[in-house]
Amino acid sequence: MQTTDERTAAAGAAGSPARPVPPEHPAPPGPADDAPGRGLPPYWALWLLAAAVLPGTALFVAVRGVDEPAVQAWRTVCLAITVQALPFLLLGTALSGAINAFVPARVFGRLLPKRPALAVPVAGVAGVVLPGCECASVPVAGSLIGRGVAPAAAFTFLLSAPAINPVVLTATAIAFPGSPLMVLARLLASLVTATVMGWLWLLLGRTEWLRPAVRHTGHRPGHSRFTEFRLGFQHDFLHAGGFLVLGAMAAATFNVTVPRSLLDAFTGSPWLSVLFLAALAILLAVCSEADAFLAASLTGFPPVARLAFMVVGPMVDLKLIALQAGTFGRAFAVRFSAATTVVAVVSSALIGGVLL
Amino acid sequence: MNRPVQVTLLVLGGLGLLHTSLFTDLCLRYVRPGMRPLLIASGVLLLVLGVAEAWSRRTPRETPDSHAHQAQQHGQEYGQEYGDGHGHDHTSVPRVAWLLFLPALSLLFWAPPALGAFTAARQPPKQVSEQDHFDPLPATSPLPITLTDFTRRVRQDRTRAVEGRTVEMTGLVTPVPKGDRAGGDWDLTRIIISCCAADAQSVKVRIHRTPAPPADTWVKVTGTWHRDGTLGTSTADVALDARTVTKVPRPVNGYQDALPLTPSR
Repeated sequence: MQTTDERTAAAGAAGSPARPVPPEHPAPPGPADDAPGRGLPPYWALWLLAAAVLPGTALFVAVRGVDEPAVQAWRTVCLAITVQALPFLLLGTALSGAINAFVPARVFGRLLPKRPALAVPVAGVAGVVLPGCECASVPVAGSLIGRGVAPAAAFTFLLSAPAINPVVLTATAIAFPGSPLMVLARLLASLVTATVMGWLWLLLGRTEWLRPAVRHTGHRPGHSRFTEFRLGFQHDFLHAGGFLVLGAMAAATFNVTVPRSLLDAFTGSPWLSVLFLAALAILLAVCSEADAFLAASLTGFPPVARLAFMVVGPMVDLKLIALQAGTFGRAFAVRFSAATTVVAVVSSALIGGVLL
Repeated sequence: MNRPVQVTLLVLGGLGLLHTSLFTDLCLRYVRPGMRPLLIASGVLLLVLGVAEAWSRRTPRETPDSHAHQAQQHGQEYGQEYGDGHGHDHTSVPRVAWLLFLPALSLLFWAPPALGAFTAARQPPKQVSEQDHFDPLPATSPLPITLTDFTRRVRQDRTRAVEGRTVEMTGLVTPVPKGDRAGGDWDLTRIIISCCAADAQSVKVRIHRTPAPPADTWVKVTGTWHRDGTLGTSTADVALDARTVTKVPRPVNGYQDALPLTPSR
C-alpha cells in the first residue's frame, strides 16, 4: 500500500509524464487500493449470486409446496442448525471481538513458544479451553491471526478446540458407555490431526491463500475500547452469521434428500465404511456436541468408521466450510478442508486401528 | 448493508429468538430443551447489540461516509486513511449477512413445524442400548411405558414381564411404505434429538389391528404385545396389537422418548 504522494513520486521517478493526482479527485486510486482489502471480486460475485438465487428458489419451492413434508422438513432442519449454532457463534464472535479490543498482541507472544513448530502442539492442547461447538472457533482463530499469532498455531487451535473440549469428550463418554477407549481415541486422533495440519501449513501453506481481510487492527489509541469491541463483535457476527445460514441450507438439503437407510449399503467393507462415514460427517454438519450420539447409533459400522465420523465432523463440514470461506477466503477454505479431511481420515484409521 | 438495516436485522433476530424461546415453546421444535437458556441469552444479547447500534447513531462517530467526506475535503489524507492498513471497516457488513433475515423472519412469523412422519419414515429404527437387569413392572393397567422401554422389554427382558400386559404408549403416526408390510399396519414413532433437529433419530413400534390415523397425528395407543418371534430375544417383533387409539395433543417433550408432559401452547 502506498500513499498518494509516494505513488506520484514513484511515477515521476519511472520517467512517465508527471501527472500529479489532483487533490480534489483522489477517488480513482482509492478504490483500487481498497479492493484487495475487501475480498476477491470473483469470490463475492459467487456468494452474491448464491444470496440472490437461493432465497428466491427457496421461496419458489415454498410457495409451490408449503405443505410438502419434504419442504417443511428442510425448513425445520435448516432453522434448527441455525438456531442451535447461533449461541455458539455469538460466543465465538464476542470472544474474537474481545481478543481484538482488549488483549494486547504481546500476551500471545508470551503464552506461545516463539518457534511456530513448537507453538502448533501447544495451540492444539489449548483447544481444551474453548467449550462448545465448532462455530465458535472460526472467528476466534481469525482474530488470533489478527493479533499476530502464527497462522499455523491458530489453525491448529481452530481444528482442535471443537473436538477435544471437555463438553464434547463428556458427551462422547455418555454416548459410548463402557468403551472409554473411544473417548481416548477421539482425543488422540483429533489432536494428531490438528497438530499435523498446523505443521503442514508451516511446510506448504501460503499467505496469499488467506484473504487479506484481517481487518482486526487491535486497539487503536484515541478510540473507546468498548466501542471497538461492540463494532468488531457486531461485524463479525453478521458476517459469519450469513455464512452460517448458507452452510445450514446446504447441510439441510443433504439431510433431507439423503435417506438414512442408505447407510446400510456401506456397512460391509471396512475401508468403504470409513470413507463413507467421513463423507457423511461433512454433509450432515451435525454439531460436535451431538455427533457422538449419532455415531453411537450407527451400530452397523465398525468402530474405526465411527471414530472417523467423530474426528472429521468437528473439523470439516458444510457449515464450517462456509464459515471458513467467509472468514479466511474461499481459496483457503477449499484447500484447508480437503487436506484436513485426508489427514483426519488417515489419523483416525491409524489410531482407531491400534486402539479399537 | 447500511446501519439501519443492521439495526433492524439485530433487533429482528433478537426478537425472533426471544419469541421462540421465552414467550413460546417453539424452540423445542428445533433444539433440545437444555439450549433454552442459551437461546434466551442470545436473544437478549442481539437486542442489546441492535439498541446499542441504534443509540450510537445519535453520537457523532466515524463512519465510512465521514471518511469519504473528509477525504474529499482533505485529499492528502485519503491515501493514509485507506492505505496504511486501516481497513477497519466494521460498518460495511458484506451482503451475505442479508441471509440472516431468513431465519429471523421465519422464527418470528413462519415457524416450520416439528419433524414428523416424513423424517421418521426415511430412517431405520434407532438401536436401543443393552440392559442386563430388569425390575418387575408396576401393577398399573394400562401401564404407561416409553417406546424405548417397550422395545427393550420385548427384545431383552428374559423374565418376559411384558407378556400379556396392557401397555400405553404415546407417539406420532408414521405410515409404513407400501410393500414393506401388509396393509393396515402403521408405526407409532418418537423422534429423538440429542442436540438439534439435524441429528434426529426415531424409535418405532409397529401397530397392528387398527386402521392408521392420518400421518403426523399424535396418538395414545393401548394394547398388548403382538405375538411374533420369541419374547425376550432379538427375534421378537417390536409390535403391538392395539385396543384403543386416542388422539392427543403434541407433548412438550415431543423430541424425547419420555412419558408425555403437558401439551405445548
